[in-house]
Formats: sequence, C-alpha cells, structure tokens
Amino acid sequence: MTIFTCSDTFEGILCGVYDAWMSRLGHDNVCLEIENTGNLRMFSEYRRAEETEDKFRKVTDAILRKAGQQVYEQVYCASLSCQPEKADMIYRYLIYALHFGRGVTDMLQIPAVYELFRLKRRVCNETMHLIEFIRFSQAGKGILAGIVNPENDVIVMMAPHFADRLRGENWVIYDDRRRKAAVHQAMGQWLMIQLPDDTWKERLVKSSDQETFEELWRTFYKHIAIEERRNPLCQRSHLPLKYRPYMTEFQQQAPGAAREDGLRK
Amino acid sequence: MLIQESMDLKEKLGILADAAKYDVACTSSGSDRPNRPGTLGNTVAAGLCHSFAADGRCISLLKILFTNQCVYDCRYCINRRSNDVPRAAFTPEEVCRLTIEFYRRNYIEGLFLSSGVLYSPDYTMDLLYQTLWKLRYEYRFNGYIHVKAIPGADPVLIEQVGFLADRMSVNLELPTAEGLRNLAPSKTRTRILTPMRQIQRGIRSQQIQLLPRGGGETIFQDSIAYGGRSGQRQVVYGGEGQIRTRDFRSPGSGRNGSRRRFVPAGQSTQMIVGATPENDFQMLSVAEALYRNYDLKRVFYSAFVRVNDDSRLPVLPGGPPLLREHRLYQADWLLRFYGFQAGELLTEEKPNFNVFLDPKCDWALRHMELFPVEVQTADYNTLLRVPGVGVRSARRIAAARRSARLDFPDLKKMGVVLKRACYFITCSGRLMYPVKLDQDFITGQLVGEEKRKTWDIGDRNSYRQLSMFDDGFLAAAPTEEDVRSAALGQM
Repeated sequence: MTIFTCSDTFEGILCGVYDAWMSRLGHDNVCLEIENTGNLRMFSEYRRAEETEDKFRKVTDAILRKAGQQVYEQVYCASLSCQPEKADMIYRYLIYALHFGRGVTDMLQIPAVYELFRLKRRVCNETMHLIEFIRFSQAGKGILAGIVNPENDVIVMMAPHFADRLRGENWVIYDDRRRKAAVHQAMGQWLMIQLPDDTWKERLVKSSDQETFEELWRTFYKHIAIEERRNPLCQRSHLPLKYRPYMTEFQQQAPGAAREDGLRK
Repeated sequence: MLIQESMDLKEKLGILADAAKYDVACTSSGSDRPNRPGTLGNTVAAGLCHSFAADGRCISLLKILFTNQCVYDCRYCINRRSNDVPRAAFTPEEVCRLTIEFYRRNYIEGLFLSSGVLYSPDYTMDLLYQTLWKLRYEYRFNGYIHVKAIPGADPVLIEQVGFLADRMSVNLELPTAEGLRNLAPSKTRTRILTPMRQIQRGIRSQQIQLLPRGGGETIFQDSIAYGGRSGQRQVVYGGEGQIRTRDFRSPGSGRNGSRRRFVPAGQSTQMIVGATPENDFQMLSVAEALYRNYDLKRVFYSAFVRVNDDSRLPVLPGGPPLLREHRLYQADWLLRFYGFQAGELLTEEKPNFNVFLDPKCDWALRHMELFPVEVQTADYNTLLRVPGVGVRSARRIAAARRSARLDFPDLKKMGVVLKRACYFITCSGRLMYPVKLDQDFITGQLVGEEKRKTWDIGDRNSYRQLSMFDDGFLAAAPTEEDVRSAALGQM
C-alpha cells in the first residue's frame, strides 16, 4: 500500500488525488490521507503530495469537464468536513464520478458515492443550521459580530448568504474552533481571514453590548412558547444543545443574574 | 378597555407576543427574493427557522399582535372583549424598530403581524397598512412579512396590504359555519371567505397578467383591477365615527418605480382542532376544498388550548389534542405532496383517524390488494403511496434505478424506512423477509412500532418506567379484536 498525504485544504486534497491517480499504482494499491491525522500504518510507503497550481487546475478541469458543476460542488463541500478520512472518500468518489459523468450523483447504491453523499449532507446540514442559529451582536463602530463553533469548516459556506442578506452591514463571522473569520464590508466584498491568536475573539466579545434588543429578544422568546404544549424533547431534536451556548436566547441576562429559562428547562 | 400609556417596550412585547402565540402559522417559505442594494434582507424559498421555543415549535418570524384590544368576543380567544387581561398596543414605529433590529441580529426571518380588531376592521387594517408601508419604504426592509387580513375590512385596504406583504392569511378558525356561530358570534363564514377569495383572485389575475397575452382584468371584472389603481379612499373609524381620507400610492409600485408583486408567497389559514365536535373527515374535507378552490398554500391545524373558562368550550382532560393535530398534519401532507384525496383516507362511515396507525399505513393496510409493488418498475406515484417512502426517497429511487438493480440495503441508503416499507415492496420480485402478507399480521407489527411514537406525542410530560422488555410493544398487547378494529378503523 502506498499512502499519499496531503494538506487539509480543498487544493491540497485535489493535488493528492492527482498524485495518487497519476502514480499508476492502481486504485486498490493507493490511499489518500490528510497529513498528521490518524496513526501510521505498517508495511506501507508514505509519499507527500506536493501542492502545485498546475495539478490543482488539471483536476478541477477534469471534474468540471467530465462530471459537471454539481459533482464539483459536492467535492468542495465534502472537503470542508471534519472527518479525517474525507480525502480518501473524495478520491474513491472521483474514480466513479470521472467514469460515469454527471449521473453519478444519483447512484447512491455505490458505497463510495453514498459515503460522499453523507459527508456532503453533514456539511450542508450544519451550514443550514448555523445560518439559522448564528446570532449577531452589535460590536462597536457599527460592526455585527457572530461567533460560532462548527464541527465542519463551514463559515465559508455561510458567508454568501449573509453577504446578500446583510449587504449594507459590516459583519464578522468568527469560527471559535479554528480561529478563522469571514469578514464583510458594507456594500463590498467578503473575505476569509486566518488568525494567529485569540485577540480577535476577545475584542469581539468585549465590545459587544449586552443591551436592549438582546433583552427584548429573550422576552419574546420566553413569551412565545405555549406552556400547555411544553416539549423539551421536540425542542432538543430541532435545536441541538451544542448550538445553544452561542445563542442569545439561551445566554444569561447579565453576569450573576438568574439563568434564562431555556437552559434550565 | 384600557391601554396603559406608560408601558415600556419590553412589557408590551411580552403581552403582545403572549397574545399572538396561539396562531400557529410561523413559516417563512414560498418567497424567493434576493437583496436589492439599499435595502435590508432577502427571502429564501424554503424558509428558515431561527429558533425553537420551549414547546418545540419553530420561531421563524417575529410573531406579534399590533394590539390585543378587540371588539369581538370569540369564546376560544384569549384576547376576547370580556377577558380581563392587560391590553397594549404598539406604534408602527416600534414594530418597525423591533423587526429591523431583530432581523439584523439574525434572530428572525421577518415579521408576522396580526391584530385584535380595534374599533373596526377598517381602522385595524389601516394600522397594519401604515406599519407595513413604513417598514418597506422608510426602513427599507426586504425580508419576509406575513400579515393577517382582517375579515370585514375594505377590499382596497386588503389589496394595498397585499402588495407590501409576502404572505397573507385569514383564519377560518372553525371548519363549519355552525361551529363559528356557536363560538365566534361576531364572525361569519362569508366574512372570512370574502377576503380569502379576493386574495386568491389577486394572485391569479397577476399570474395571468404575467403571461404574454395578458388580459387578467377582463376575466376578473368583478374583482379589483390589480396593479395600477391609486387615489383616495375613505377610511371610517368605526368606534368613534370619525372619517379620514387616505391617499394610496399607486399599488404595486415602489418608490423607484419597481413593481411589487401581490402576495408572492400565497395565502394560508388555520383551523382549531377539538374546540367543536367536528370530526377529522370534516376537517380534512374543508382543508381539501380550500386547497382546491382557494389555491391556499397551507392550512394549519391548531390543537385547542383551553385558555378561557367558558361553558361552551369543551374540557379536555388530557390537555390539547396533540395526537389528533399530528394525524391531521400527516394527512395534510398526504393531500399536498403524495396525491391522496380526503375521501381515500377517511369516509363518512369511518370519520376519524386511527390512533394507532399513521394515515398512510392505515390506507395501505386497507388496500393490500395493491401491494406489494416492485421497486424497480413501479411508477413514481405508486412509490409515493408506499408507507415508509417519502418524496425524497421516491425521487432518489427513481433516479438510481435507471443505472442499477436496487436491493433492500440500497433502499435504506436512499432514506426508505424499511421497518414500514418491507411489507409493501419487493426487490427483484423478492420480499425482504419471508412473511405472510396478511393484514392482521402486518397491522400488529406496524402498531407496535407506531405505539411508541404516539405515546411520546400523547403523554409527553410523563416518564416511562425503564423496562428490561420492550414495553412499547408489550404494553399494547392488542387482542385479536383490537387488531382487527384498528385495521378497519373502527375505534
């Protein structure tokens, strides 16, 4: 077995796919891994896939030409997943995708296709959840700041939605887990930033006001529930607990004050 | 009736959210509109749910009443005239600020504005119109707005509001005219259906105008000619007899000359379940008629919550009839997406849903002659009727079987619930298990599985004793007779 390692980026994985494929060792004899994940395996040779612009372009061209836009988008989504096995899954999927063409997305009976479909679905579901559940707060100087803690690297998928919706606002979506941020300037473009340390988060938290409208929202949230229909199980299945620490309606009113209803229930 | 002037915004919001929460519609779907520079917000076709309240219902819109003062005395309603509850009213300004500030922080998808009837329907509708106009043109809000049409309001006002909102709704409340007479003496069936018809015509005539040949106005001569009328209109303040004239800007045209669409997300309504003795068949037939004759997008069902102590209201010891509401929603989906008709699911002789089985299983068990169907060859509409197969999985099956011969594990990957489907489908002519296709046997199997789910809905707030055995199956212990009556629906 020859194991190709690549960096944990979309570009890195596609370059890894190129190297593994073009090594001509046969699909069954190669494997693609994200570097520095998992354990080393015995009786196998490790090769690092070098990232070059050229390889990346060749692979994307091939995907777009033979399998179409939809497959390309699926692969991109899957590359944002937090699962370390994703590189190999993408490789196995592309073997089928480049063979069958655009119809491959319907062939869920093929295990490699199904695995990628699940990977993509997880990423898309989390994106959708966070688009719904992210809470912005007014940080100083007319900036809206939202902090999230996603399992998969999805803020890049969330940004276009808010770039359209909050076009006239300056906003920051900060990924608490990866120290990454999507930053948008009013009426302008958005871009991704990788941050070296936690200073950004501290600044966003500090300057955010715990003010009137947050308090009003908590009031509304408390009053809108019908007591006779209380159903925490249903609430939990729609709004998993992992999102709640970052949501205004579940946060404490003020330091030291009684905890908001939502969490105690 | 007293409005406390000194009330702060927080108190008002509490009162008016409390007053609005019994309205169930809280969807933000049906409208797909990108942002326009200079405005705030957009809408997403599928709708977004921004939070879930402690009762598990989604919070998508800022659902509030403009005021909870009301001249009516509907018996089921918390805001009826004779109730001694704190009353409050927003100003248009306050509603706009709340909506905008909540929207910017991504708390909500838009505004759901309803109101008690203050002085007269016209006066109230005019207040809603002013609020929406302010929100759309002064605050440049481009998100979702759901607004109630007040029955009895001037058609011109309703038309004007329709051009500002995404969705409008008029609540039918009770499925029969008799129930309405009994519990809501000041509302009549015709008064509710008139605005519904008007909105439907507005949407339809607009659709016709969008066609190349046009000519919508000649077809609907009796309705208001949509798009193009402006002028003055008298609005009568019913309570105080004042008359005010209001200048309407040309409907359907924004400030910069762009045309607005009339109620782009369609209209919806809601019915209360369990306040009057109507059976499920009546409810479902009314819903079907509304979908068919009034082009409604959604009919919502609201389990009756006894908020008023009134002799004409039923006492429901088990709390709100949640399981019945659940069954109605299941059937509603079958009507809208699965090609079923009300008459197939229920009949005069068997007017209520089976408590133990969902409507689709119930139907399938009564039509065992149609099953099992072969997954590889059955057409899409037949697949949709198989219990355990939904719209998505049917589509996936239809797409995947073009390139391969499907087997049961493959179906599982496509999202089919094999626990239910396995009795009704074959793969390559083979059943999943070698079972006898006997109605009683299958009923027993399905009832056991469904039992646990309905228990969770019906008895949410109690806990079940942990058992070494699967009591979800055992406690049912259906006798032969139970099984048969469940299958035949003689409850």
